[in-house]
Amino acid sequence: MRVNPNIAPDILAAIYNTQTQEQTALQELSTGKRVNVPSDDPLAASLMVSNQDQSSRTDQYLQNIDTLTNQMQTADTALASVVTALNQAISLGVQGSTGTATAADRQQIAQNLQGIQQQIVQLANTEVGGVYLFAGTATTTTPYVLDSSSPSGVQYKGNMGINAVQVSDGVTVNTNLPGGQLFQNTNGDVFGSLQQLITALQIGTASDAATATNALRDAYNRITGSRVFYGNVENQLNSTQTFLNQERVNLSSQATSLIGVDITKAATDLTQATTAHDAALAAAAKMLPTSLLDYLK
Amino acid sequence: MPGLSTSLNIAVQALNAEQGALDVTSNNIANVNTPGYSREVAVFQESPTVQEGNVAYGTGVTLLQFQSVRDQMLQLRIYEETAQQSNAEAQFNSLSQIQTAFADPSQGVGGALTAFFNGLSQLSTNPTDSNARQQVLIAANNLATAFHQSVSALDQEQAELDQTVPKTVNQINQLTSQIAQLNSQVAQLTGLGKDPGTVQDQRDQLVQQLSELVNVSVTQTDQGITVTTGNGIPLVVAAQSFALQSGTSSGGLQGVFAQGQDVTSQIQGGTLGAAIQVRDTVIPNLLSQLDTLASQFTSSFNATHQAGFDLNGNAGGNFFTPLTSVSGAASKFSVAISDPNLIAASSDGSAGSNGNVAQMLAVQNQPLPEGVTPIQAYANLVLIVGNYGSSAQANVAASTASLQQLNDQRGAVSGVSLDEESTNMIKYQRAYEAAARVVTTVDSMMQILLGMGVTK
Repeated sequence: MRVNPNIAPDILAAIYNTQTQEQTALQELSTGKRVNVPSDDPLAASLMVSNQDQSSRTDQYLQNIDTLTNQMQTADTALASVVTALNQAISLGVQGSTGTATAADRQQIAQNLQGIQQQIVQLANTEVGGVYLFAGTATTTTPYVLDSSSPSGVQYKGNMGINAVQVSDGVTVNTNLPGGQLFQNTNGDVFGSLQQLITALQIGTASDAATATNALRDAYNRITGSRVFYGNVENQLNSTQTFLNQERVNLSSQATSLIGVDITKAATDLTQATTAHDAALAAAAKMLPTSLLDYLK
Repeated sequence: MPGLSTSLNIAVQALNAEQGALDVTSNNIANVNTPGYSREVAVFQESPTVQEGNVAYGTGVTLLQFQSVRDQMLQLRIYEETAQQSNAEAQFNSLSQIQTAFADPSQGVGGALTAFFNGLSQLSTNPTDSNARQQVLIAANNLATAFHQSVSALDQEQAELDQTVPKTVNQINQLTSQIAQLNSQVAQLTGLGKDPGTVQDQRDQLVQQLSELVNVSVTQTDQGITVTTGNGIPLVVAAQSFALQSGTSSGGLQGVFAQGQDVTSQIQGGTLGAAIQVRDTVIPNLLSQLDTLASQFTSSFNATHQAGFDLNGNAGGNFFTPLTSVSGAASKFSVAISDPNLIAASSDGSAGSNGNVAQMLAVQNQPLPEGVTPIQAYANLVLIVGNYGSSAQANVAASTASLQQLNDQRGAVSGVSLDEESTNMIKYQRAYEAAARVVTTVDSMMQILLGMGVTK
């Protein structure tokens, strides 16, 4: 049977072919990527869009957590100072409600308590970067101002709004307790009982002072209890952070399996392609020059 | 009555025939590297026998003709496969250009969407922060730029393909008029009883070049070949060629016309078919995906944004400029506000509320009316782009392999083999030598004969 006498195109095609294989393997090795354009593997390229989205979101969540942790710690520190101040106020209240305290003593104690009141107002007005932490969602308004005409001795300018921030897919945490809820709770009113105690010491009886001191104890318990909220949020942020860091590793290994190159395989491919290329060249060198003319004299 | 002169005659015929046959060999060798050349063979025929008494004897050989060796069916399949191969290759080239705009998953519309929502997520931790607000606006404008860039990458490729249409139509017309000319030459030569091999080779080459441009169908008639496009638009009939025209089509793009009829959508195969396919089907499909995403995302996000309150406590307005029509939405996609304070982050009117940011963030995970989330819509677009590219790539590989095989088959029939020609050369040379020997033998016999009367 007659065969195609012109083998050059076939040999060239074989050489191009092995050359392409070499280039592919080399590109895979040098970029570390198996998929460089969508047509290399459309499904993987498409899944990579989601993967990138997820991994970028994860980075943002982690950044959110940093910001929030900072806010939580500041709030918690402020509340710790409030607790210390209340402790002082309670001891002062106990002093003032004993029968031995003279009127002058009680006036003096009341004055001290007013100092504490101011201190707590300052703490309740704690801000981070212009954001009042205990103003509800009215974060640009100074939440507490002293007001002697008010029964609580203060005026709350904030609101009862609560913000929630997403820190992971489907996970949101409440990030604030409004001052109205923290410091003027019906189950323990910090400012109300403090003002009550001051008034009792100024113009009331020892038993009035004792009642007010007891109310202050409730408020103290209330604040101590509220600190748990911030502690819990911090814990939740911590555990979410751990989860997200793990997630980041998972996403990155998913990306590798989607578009990353199997180094061993790529290296083997390269060796095979080089061998095939050498073979094609050797075959070309052997076959192209041969002709019957070589043997005719 | 056979005699010495008859033998001499026969020998001289043989000398002529073998020498003529050597011409074929020489011509074959000369054209061994000529593309599209079909080898020729010398056709010998024995001269009529003469009957004399009981003896019938041959009167030598004639070199009847040079016959070129070709397989017309195979040639037709080569045209067909050539059209497919060049079509796939041209499509793949265009799609390679297009897909670079969608290659990096962290860039483009997808990356910009993610960055925009990340900006909002950042804002949710501190809704009154002017930097965070500014950042959201920057990310939103980047998203708009990403939409515009994707559209312009597609538009640009579409415009480039559009420009190739009239050029290709011109090339087709040149080829068909040459084919028509050669057609009449073939008919003339055939009419004279000659083998039109060389002209046929040229014509085959031209038809093959034509099939690189457009899919053609070739039929053999008495007047030569009839060439039509794959779906029957006549290009060449006998000695006449029918030019195609190009001109602005109803859609504003360059169309192909045959005798005044718009036949653009009927053109298939070849580079012209590829240009029309990518320009009129692939790119519009991708553009419409982008438009749908831009339009639905705008309305969905605006609706959420309007439910909130800005930093001044006013109800939120449009965040993105509302898009009136889906068509062209991606290129018109833009941010409606430039004042960061107008971002309606608050759900209760107080400055520090982030309640509506959460709602806006939820748009990221909510299906748009088209049934998928915004980022999924973009991922689907990448999938479609990739699938177009990879199937064109697979077509290139398949048609290249099968074209190579067909060319091998054609070579097996029509290709010049130097080994074969060398063998023939020896064959003809030996026959020539032998015939020459007959001449000298007859000559010496004649000498003997002539000497009979003189000597003694």
